Amino acid sequence: MKRVREERENLVSRIPRLQVFFAALMIIIATGYWRVQVVGGDFYRGLAENNRLRRVPIKAPRGLIYDRDDRLLVDNVPSYNLLLDGSRSANVERALAFAAAVLEREPSELRSAVERHSGRSRFEPVLLAENLTLADVSQVSVAQLEYPEFEIDVEHLRLYRHGPLTAHALGYLGEATEEDLARRPGAYQPGDLVGRKGMERVFDLHLRGRDGERELIVDSRGRTREEHGREAAVAGKNLHLTLDLELQQEAARYLGERAGAAVALDPRSGEVLMLVSAPSYNPNLFTRRLDDEQWRELIDSPYHPLQNRTIQNAHPPGSVFKMVLAVAGLSEGTVSPTDSVFCSGSTTIYNRRNRCWLRRGHGWVNLRKAIKESCDVYFYHLGQKLGINRIAHYARLFGLGGPTGFDIPGEKAGLIPDTEWSLARRGSPWYPGETISVAIGQGPILVTPLQLAGMTAALANGGRLVRPHLARGGRSAPSAPIAVDPDAIALVREAMWAVVNEEHGTGSSVRLPYVQIAGKTGTAQVVEQRTWTRNEDLPEEHRDHAWFVSFAPVDDPRLVVVAFVEHGGHGSDAAAPLAKRIYESYFGDPDPR
Amino acid sequence: MTLTLADDRPLLRHLADVRWVLLALALLLAAIGLATVHSASSELAVDYLPRQAVWVALGLLALFAALGVDYQSLTKFSLPLYVGGLLALAAVLFLGTERGGARSWFGIGSFGLQPSEFAKLTTALLLARYLAATNRRYLRLHEIAGACGLVAVPMALIVLQKDLGSAAMFLPMLAGMLFVAGVRWQVIVAAALLALVAGGVLWNFVMLDYQKGRVMTFLDPGRDPLGAGYQLRQSKIAVGSGQIVGRGYMQGTQSQLRFLPARHTDFVFAVLAEEWGFLGVASVLVLYGIFIFNGAMVAVRARDRTGILLVVGLLAGFAFHVAYNTAMVVGLVPITGIPLPFLSYGGSFTLASFLATGMILGVDLRRYVNR
Repeated sequence: MKRVREERENLVSRIPRLQVFFAALMIIIATGYWRVQVVGGDFYRGLAENNRLRRVPIKAPRGLIYDRDDRLLVDNVPSYNLLLDGSRSANVERALAFAAAVLEREPSELRSAVERHSGRSRFEPVLLAENLTLADVSQVSVAQLEYPEFEIDVEHLRLYRHGPLTAHALGYLGEATEEDLARRPGAYQPGDLVGRKGMERVFDLHLRGRDGERELIVDSRGRTREEHGREAAVAGKNLHLTLDLELQQEAARYLGERAGAAVALDPRSGEVLMLVSAPSYNPNLFTRRLDDEQWRELIDSPYHPLQNRTIQNAHPPGSVFKMVLAVAGLSEGTVSPTDSVFCSGSTTIYNRRNRCWLRRGHGWVNLRKAIKESCDVYFYHLGQKLGINRIAHYARLFGLGGPTGFDIPGEKAGLIPDTEWSLARRGSPWYPGETISVAIGQGPILVTPLQLAGMTAALANGGRLVRPHLARGGRSAPSAPIAVDPDAIALVREAMWAVVNEEHGTGSSVRLPYVQIAGKTGTAQVVEQRTWTRNEDLPEEHRDHAWFVSFAPVDDPRLVVVAFVEHGGHGSDAAAPLAKRIYESYFGDPDPR
Repeated sequence: MTLTLADDRPLLRHLADVRWVLLALALLLAAIGLATVHSASSELAVDYLPRQAVWVALGLLALFAALGVDYQSLTKFSLPLYVGGLLALAAVLFLGTERGGARSWFGIGSFGLQPSEFAKLTTALLLARYLAATNRRYLRLHEIAGACGLVAVPMALIVLQKDLGSAAMFLPMLAGMLFVAGVRWQVIVAAALLALVAGGVLWNFVMLDYQKGRVMTFLDPGRDPLGAGYQLRQSKIAVGSGQIVGRGYMQGTQSQLRFLPARHTDFVFAVLAEEWGFLGVASVLVLYGIFIFNGAMVAVRARDRTGILLVVGLLAGFAFHVAYNTAMVVGLVPITGIPLPFLSYGGSFTLASFLATGMILGVDLRRYVNR
């Protein structure tokens, strides 16, 4: 074989260039690993941890709420939800058909739940149905082997045992809003349920406790491998209220279908024993997502069931306001207890004829009789002498026209007019003629039932303002006595006793043999009446509002009751009987027949 | 009769002088591979460690078999071997089983054989013979074209199997051999331009959507986090979370909790990076570097053109596998199905890697014979 000299050296000389090329490649690649592992290591370690750790909240049980006799008002009850984990399902359609059969619903309904979910992570289970019965739960559990894609999730729901009865006092829960998250940074997570109204809202942080957390190690399919860590939930604290469930029931039963409000409190401490606003709503509806129809019904109702009438509706107080004038007149020395005025059924002041509610007139009336029989003419004259600014001053001393400092927020201030207000807010001077209306609690004067309860408590306890509150054990130190003549308060109290317990008293229907009640009726005109029209002949929305404020026992007052019935007519007919029932229930008949 | 070391046939002396370090490195890398495959598949129903151990053992046999055969006699039969490889590639199109969308396997029980891995070796043999025969400083254009043609036929058959990654692996082999055989720089520039144009054509007329998707995902990994981007993202998380010293053997959460797909095959290096950190990555890269440089030294001292070109071709393919796979795992290049020699689980590829190592050692062994 002829050997040809091979061209070999050129080949060999090119090999180092390939080596350099390869070495350069390896350096680039090593740099790539340096960047990811050394420079970006912490970042990727974090992502890896995030991959494998699932943080599952352990919901802290919310505190329960009890009334003053430790009767349970709010409970937590388990509710079962059905979840579908699509990533574990071999055949979603078959699973849906099974679920539909168990729940006795249409498969298409369930399918739409799945479709709404699309776009979210496929490892996140779909909520198919809420509030399963125990029978449903057991059916799904039994089929667990065949349908591993189903999960039953237990959730604790708030159950308001007395529904509408305590709705305005307790409120309800709702999902945290942006505003909640901003208001208390860190306290709430998106999706948390927070108190929306009432005591649930005020004492939310007290009731809610602290959610715990389970750290689970999961694999790429989302399946739990082991528990990595656990922070136990701290249960919320229970809340004990001063509310008396029985009084609450009495008032609601009396109001029935009528719109109105009723408040009872202890004049010594400000403890609120009764807080009823009617009509009410069922807070248990808010536990589940309300459907549009239910929400519309609540919002569009002409009776505004969501409104808490004890603090959010302000009305003219009517004759109930006469006590303020009486205390003002006596304290200022404008009148003495023995001064008398002749009531002929009307009187002309500032060229305008002002009628007394009693057409035939009360004859000669002193202060005691004017309160007992609610003579308007007496107070027209007293109002004229006092003038609007002094009336307003005493009204405010009694806590009218401003928030009482009640636990539950959202109190309406109401309105106590004076000359300054008139100029500032109406842009016109106060007309002295208006003072005559205000003297009997009509005209531009607005108070809430709770404010009147505060005023009545101050009359009952000898002139101290209390802060109404619903939480037991709260601060309850009464303030120093308000700057009025103590004798004036004593006289007014005695006159209020006469209202109920003497002949011709306007509140005599309330009289009880076993407890001495003091009270005052009031009727707030809704439309100004030029003529004598019987209230019963007016359309309902034009009928007067009925008031009754009261306390008992007169010598050692322990209970103040304020009743308000919208368009109820006269205070003595519509509102006083409510108070009577409350006293009957509270003091009981020591000698039942 | 005594066998002296100063003999004309100093076989034992030569045996002692062969770069056994290549064999040692192959075995060391294979051992690292076995350990990593075990870690990566310990959570699966099947532990791939025993299977891969069988392949390594078979590979070792193949290595010594290749060592025993004179590459010159092998090149004499390179044409029938090449044709046989083509026939196998054609046959697999009709008789093969489909795995992961590619029909590139012969199923033998639960094992599979991939003829494309062996076709690469037979093509390298024929190419070495063809280019050795030119015997001039620079290749002429028609010779370059001829070489390309030799490679194009098996590549086309593999593309038909929808196994684009394996097909592409012929190119570095071809490029390395052509470069060493001598290509003028003007031709290299022209080829680069041609490649650009061809790339455009491929993108628009040949590539399938999933292949385009991989490229797009490489360019923008956030594009499809649950689909094509998932693999890349999980791989980078695995690599990065290894940090400097790694999370420890069998302690990588990305692989142990199965977040990383293909972790015992194409992405085995990500598992290694997660468990051994940058130190482990750098060590293994250095091992590969030593392997390639020792292989290159075999080429440098090889007896003839055929030997040089054969070793260069085999090494170029090997080096490109290493570079592309490690670059892909860390997200430097688009993902495609290219395994890592000696580390990735895979029968045919392990077998072919040991075979190639045996052929390289064979060239080294015969460097003084018939000079």
